[in-house]
Amino acid sequence: MLTADKVVAAAHQGLAGPLGRAALLVGIIASVFGAIAAIYTAREAVREEQVRTSRLIPRFAALVLFAAFAAMTAMEYAMITRDFSLKYVQDHGSRSTPALYNFAAVWSALEGSILLWVLALALSVSAVVWRYRKQLGDPLIAWAMAVMFIVLAFFFLLSFAPANPFGVGAAGVTDGPGPNPLLQNHILVLFHPPILYLGYVGFTIPFAFAIAALITGRVGEGWLVETRRWTLCAWGLLTFGIILGGWWSYEVLGWSGVWAWDPVENASFLPWLTGTAYIHSVMVQERRGMLRVWNLSLLLATFSLTILGTFLTRSGVLNSVHAFSESDIGKYLIVFFGLIVAVSLWLIAWRGDSLRSPGSIDSPISREGAFLANNVLFALFAFVVLLGTVFPLVIEALQNRQIVVGEPFFNQLSTPIGIAMLAMMSIAPVLPWRKASEEVLRQRLFWPAWCGIGALVLSLLVGANGLAALLTFTLGGFASGAALRQLVLAARRQGWRGLVGRTNGGMVVHIGVILIAVALAASNSYTRSQELSLKLNTPAKFGGHVFELKGFENEKTDRLTAVKAIVEIDGGQSYAPAITKYVQMGNNIGTPSVKSSWRYDLYLTLEPPVKSDSGEARIKVFIKPLVMWLWIGGALMASGTLLALFPGRRRRRTTDATSARIPLENKQNA
Amino acid sequence: MKKLNSLPVWILMLLLTVGLLAFGTLRSQGPLTQQGRIDAVSQQLACPTCNGESIYVSRAPAAEAIRNEIAREVASGQNSDNQIVAVIETRFPGSVLLPRTSGVESLIWILPVVALVGGLCGLWLIFRRWKNTALLNASEEDFAIVESALRKMNDVTDDEYL
Repeated sequence: MLTADKVVAAAHQGLAGPLGRAALLVGIIASVFGAIAAIYTAREAVREEQVRTSRLIPRFAALVLFAAFAAMTAMEYAMITRDFSLKYVQDHGSRSTPALYNFAAVWSALEGSILLWVLALALSVSAVVWRYRKQLGDPLIAWAMAVMFIVLAFFFLLSFAPANPFGVGAAGVTDGPGPNPLLQNHILVLFHPPILYLGYVGFTIPFAFAIAALITGRVGEGWLVETRRWTLCAWGLLTFGIILGGWWSYEVLGWSGVWAWDPVENASFLPWLTGTAYIHSVMVQERRGMLRVWNLSLLLATFSLTILGTFLTRSGVLNSVHAFSESDIGKYLIVFFGLIVAVSLWLIAWRGDSLRSPGSIDSPISREGAFLANNVLFALFAFVVLLGTVFPLVIEALQNRQIVVGEPFFNQLSTPIGIAMLAMMSIAPVLPWRKASEEVLRQRLFWPAWCGIGALVLSLLVGANGLAALLTFTLGGFASGAALRQLVLAARRQGWRGLVGRTNGGMVVHIGVILIAVALAASNSYTRSQELSLKLNTPAKFGGHVFELKGFENEKTDRLTAVKAIVEIDGGQSYAPAITKYVQMGNNIGTPSVKSSWRYDLYLTLEPPVKSDSGEARIKVFIKPLVMWLWIGGALMASGTLLALFPGRRRRRTTDATSARIPLENKQNA
Repeated sequence: MKKLNSLPVWILMLLLTVGLLAFGTLRSQGPLTQQGRIDAVSQQLACPTCNGESIYVSRAPAAEAIRNEIAREVASGQNSDNQIVAVIETRFPGSVLLPRTSGVESLIWILPVVALVGGLCGLWLIFRRWKNTALLNASEEDFAIVESALRKMNDVTDDEYL
């Protein structure tokens, strides 16, 4: 008999699917109409002052935000209530997944991660509309809104058609395997993907303004100033997301590294490289009105690389540990990528004349010159990473055989490029605009250079060797000297305000980058490891430490069986590297245990097979120098970005007009 | 201060740095331990079942098996690192992570060099063009006008860059 309870339960189960689909449909329609309203506004605004359609833009923005939230909520609801009528929940949900990981399970596979992308993009659209709510009638803003709505419509469409998370699954399924085991044993899965996606998506904003500037012909510096903070926010989030990913890898994967040059990692690193090049070279344009085409190209490259990266890694053309299952999404993404590139190039060609900039650079030995050289390095780095990532495809196409391009290739090429970048970071921050004399350079670089020599002596004293690592430490010292010089001089002049603003915040970011470079060089060059066969209560020595196996802890639930080896280090605190076997998956998942200190980390993993009744365990111990400084460097990069977002002391003037003589003597007593 | 940062002092600093770097580069850290050799070899090979991860990185059973094999080879002490890599590559073709320097694969080494040379030439050309266009036909009077205008503006020093 059909009782009221059963009817409610039936309606309950399976409500999320139709609601989610409906929300996505509303999202598509609203973003298309939003784009139409914005384009109409932009075209009419040339003739009239008050375009009535501009008032529709915020309404459509509110609607897309509502639709994206509704779709995400429906998916979360389905996942949390374990609605196994949906295929996505069947594949990635499970009754036994703990609540937090179940919440994150929504973005643990392709369809859900596109939904997360949609939500992040809808949030950005709304934020931009809110920020410019009084200027929506301005053609530049209206065109930018139109571009953002179009991109959003595309992602809504992706989520609606090829990457539909609300598809109905087979009947009668009552439980699923849950998310990939690696995605359910560290809290960072909750933060790394959303923050990274906010970064990716954030670059849509400067991209939209760049397209708008090209369409309206207002290719001067106005749009740059408008998008400065948005770009910096996107860059900061992308940086932070990448660093969190490295941290997750270190804490979860058990090989003691943070970066493996996996295609998905490269896909996030590529837009980071072009984005970083852009936030440097844009300063030349703001100051001197030059490099317009170059800056536009960098922004367009950054945005299109986020799409290309998503295509490469999410369509199944490239294999990666991160890659999700194959789907039709590839065709959509590659067409969208082609469209973006074609439209951007056509617009740049069309506006070619007005993009020609009036200025010129006086001397290569100047801050402008340094930014240009920096851009060559970043572009080269991006090229190398892209080449290494797609090269297996090239070989497969040409010779029909499979190769793997891995870490050794990327390490060999990124080392010299990274060292050249550190060298630039040592000199560029002290260079004046326009032209530097030899005397000025000698004086300004003097103490930073001694910082470099000091760092070299220190690293030799603690036993470092190897040219690449020693150069990294020397130039790291030099570059931090140059960054500190700027910060100290600014703080002496302006007090606490000497720490905010783009230049000073940027120098804090530089110090973070240097710490990361030094920590990577040290941990890659000087890691020592040893496999120890520990017997119960019998101490073993390695690297000046004593390791003693104190026992095992076993855990058995419906979801998993886990065994932890309790290892006491130096008679003090105990550490518990573990191996977990998830019932539904079968594979052994190791969980490392790390003892951190400012000098080095002791990284313990339990090696399979484990026979806990035998009273023996194979423990691999890695001694990894300076790893903690990676995280400190990451935190400094994040705080430096925040400092750079604050307005610095207002400048009364920009660089001297080119008609002024170049002051070659050092005016300040710096 | 003037004496401290004069050119000869800089040359001395440069020589000191080069000397210290040479000392640090040439001094030996001793031969690798057995585990060090195992790690070095396993970093050069891809795990056959895990989508491009190296044997060093991967925790998959196949990678575990090959790691154990490398450990046995290293312990026997008969083969050099390169020979061990070659032995494993014959069993799993295409598993070496470093592309070869011959044939089509050499493109991956040549193209970055081409890009670097291209970038540097581009930089050189653009600076040369700018140098040629930057020359102004301004008279001394023009400079005087600009400078007096700048003096009025410059009552506040430019703090953005020191």
